Amino acid sequence: MLEFLQYLLNGISQGCIYVLLASGLTLIFGIFNVPNFAQGHLYMVGAYFGFYFVMSLGMSYWLALIMATVALGFIGLLLYRFVFYPVRDAPEVNLFVAAMALLMIIEGAALYFFGTETKWFVVPFSRKVLAFGEITLPVQRIIIILGTIFVMTALQLFIKKTTTGAALEATAQQREGAMLCGIKVTRISALAFMIGTGLAGVAGVLIGPAVLLAPTMGMGPLLVAFSAVVFGGMGSIAGAVTGALVLGLMESLASGYISATYRLTFVFGIMILMLLFRPRGLLGREKWRP
Amino acid sequence: METLKTILSSKTTYWLLALILGVAFPSFLDGYLVSLLILIYIWMILCCSMNIIYGYTGQLSLAQAAFFGVGAYAFGLFTVKLHLNFWPAFFIAVVLTGLLGFLIGIPALKLRGPYFILVTLGFSVIISEIIVAWVDLTGGANGLAGIPRPSPIPLPSGAHLRFDSLLPMYYFTLFFLAITMIFCRRLIGSLVGKTFLAISCNETLAESLGINTMSRKLLSFVISAVVAGIAGVLYGSYNIVISPEIAYFARSMDLVAFLIVGGAGTMAGPVLGTMVLMAVPELLQVIPSLKTLINGIILLLFLIFVPSGITGGFENVKRKHYLSRIRSYGSARR
Repeated sequence: MLEFLQYLLNGISQGCIYVLLASGLTLIFGIFNVPNFAQGHLYMVGAYFGFYFVMSLGMSYWLALIMATVALGFIGLLLYRFVFYPVRDAPEVNLFVAAMALLMIIEGAALYFFGTETKWFVVPFSRKVLAFGEITLPVQRIIIILGTIFVMTALQLFIKKTTTGAALEATAQQREGAMLCGIKVTRISALAFMIGTGLAGVAGVLIGPAVLLAPTMGMGPLLVAFSAVVFGGMGSIAGAVTGALVLGLMESLASGYISATYRLTFVFGIMILMLLFRPRGLLGREKWRP
Repeated sequence: METLKTILSSKTTYWLLALILGVAFPSFLDGYLVSLLILIYIWMILCCSMNIIYGYTGQLSLAQAAFFGVGAYAFGLFTVKLHLNFWPAFFIAVVLTGLLGFLIGIPALKLRGPYFILVTLGFSVIISEIIVAWVDLTGGANGLAGIPRPSPIPLPSGAHLRFDSLLPMYYFTLFFLAITMIFCRRLIGSLVGKTFLAISCNETLAESLGINTMSRKLLSFVISAVVAGIAGVLYGSYNIVISPEIAYFARSMDLVAFLIVGGAGTMAGPVLGTMVLMAVPELLQVIPSLKTLINGIILLLFLIFVPSGITGGFENVKRKHYLSRIRSYGSARR
C-alpha cells in the first residue's frame, strides 16, 4: 500500500510536467494546426535557461522561473514569425517537417552551446526531502505540483475570463469565423505560440532541480506529452490535462510494478490503441476526426 | 545537332553518367572516401524507401529507421545465432521486415496526417526500445558483433569473388543501389505507381475514382519496409557490428531532411539529397555535434524557400527559362 502511494505521488508530479507540455502542444495545435515537435526541446532550453539564470547570474529561483518563461515566450514569438508563419499555407505535413527541422536545430545548438556533459541544477531549498511516515517526497516535487496547479489555473482564467482569451478560443474553434468577427488571427496565433512555448519554459525550470540536465532530456517527455494529447483528444486542454495525468500515473505504476525498461512501450501502446479504437481521444470534440 | 541536343537534355544520359562516375570512383578516391561512399549508398537506398512512402504516396512515415534496424538485426541474428548462410539470411530478414511493415501498416494507415506520423513514430520508438531492452537476444546497448560479409560468389573462371575487402563491397552496394533505383523507376512508371501518386495528390478523390486507397497505401508501405530492410541487411554485413542507434527515429528525421533537400517524389531526390547532406559535412570535417544543427538549418531553409528541393528548384529555373523564350517569340499565353 505504501509502495503504491509512493508511486502515485511520483506519477502525479511527473504527470504535472506532462500537463504543462501537453497543454502547450494543444494550444499550438488548436490554433495553428501544427504538432509542435520541438516542444520537448524548448522545455530542455527552459531548464538550461533556469540553470544559467540561477547558477551564473545568481538570480533567485523564482525570478529565474519568471525570466525563463518570458525568454521562452519570446523564442516562441520568433519561431512563429520566422519558421511557422512562412510555411503556413504549405501542406500539413510540411508544418510537421518544419517543427522537426526546428527540433534538429535546437538539439544541435544545445549540444554545441550547453555541452554534452550533464549539469546539476542546485537550488538549496529544493534538495530537502519531506517524509510522511515511510513515504518520502522531495520539496521540488511539491513545487512542481503546486506550480502546475497555479499556472494551469491562471491559463484557464485567462482563456475563460478575458476578451483575448475568448478570441483565442474562437480562433481555435473556427479560424475563418474568427477572422470575420474582426479578430486578428495572426496576432492570436503568435500569442498562442508564446503561451505554448512559455509553458514549456515553466515545465523546464520546474523539473530542472529534480533531474540532471542534458541536451537530450526533452525527447522522452515530448513523446509522452504527444501521447497524452492524442489520448486526451487533440484540441482540448481538459483532455490534454487528463491524458497527461493518466499517462504520468500509468508510467510510474508500470515502471514500478512491471518493468522500467519498457516505459515508452507502455505509453505508446496506450496511444496507438486509443487512436485505433477511439480516434478522437478521451475528451476530444466529435468533429475532430483524423 | 538536334540529336546532340536530345541526348544532352535526356535524363537517361545523366543517369548513365552518374553510373559511370559511380563505377569509376574507386579508381581515383582513397580508401576512406570509398568507405564513406558505401555508407552513402546504403543511405540512398534507405532514402529511396522513404521516397516511395512519403515522396510518391504522400504518407510521412517515421518508422523507416526502425525497419532498417529490424532488417539489420534480423539478418545479424540469423547469421550470428543460427549460423545461416548469407543469402538465405538476407532473404528471411527482408521478408520478416516486409511482414512487420504489413502488420504495422494495417492499423497505422487507417489514420491520416499528423496521426499517421505519430503512430509510425510510436512503433518506431517501441521497436528501438525492444532492441535495447531485449539484451539476451540483441546484445542490448552493446550491439551485435560478428555479422559476416556476403559469402563468396564463384566466378566462371573458377576463382571466387570475395567480399572481405573494401572494393568488392563497394560494387556490391552500388549494384543494390542501381537495382533499387531501377525498381523505383519501374514501380512509379507502372499503373500501381500512378495510383500511389494519385493518393498523394488527393486521397479522397483517388478513392472516389475507384482506387482501393487502403490496399495501395499498404502495398506502398510494405514495399518501402522491404527496401529499408534491404538497406539494413547491407549495412549489417558491411559494418559487421550493429548497435541500437541505427533504429532510433532520429535517423528517420535525417532521412526526411535528405529527401526534402533532394526533392521528394523525384527519382534524383534521394540521390542528390543524401549526397549533399552526408558528403559535404564529412568532407568539410564538421564536428559531429554541429551536423544535426547544419542539417536542421538546411532543411528549414529549403522548406521555407524551395519546398520542392534541389530537383524541383532546378525544374523551376528551367521552366522559367523556357517560358521567357516562348514569350520572346510573342505567341504563347501563360
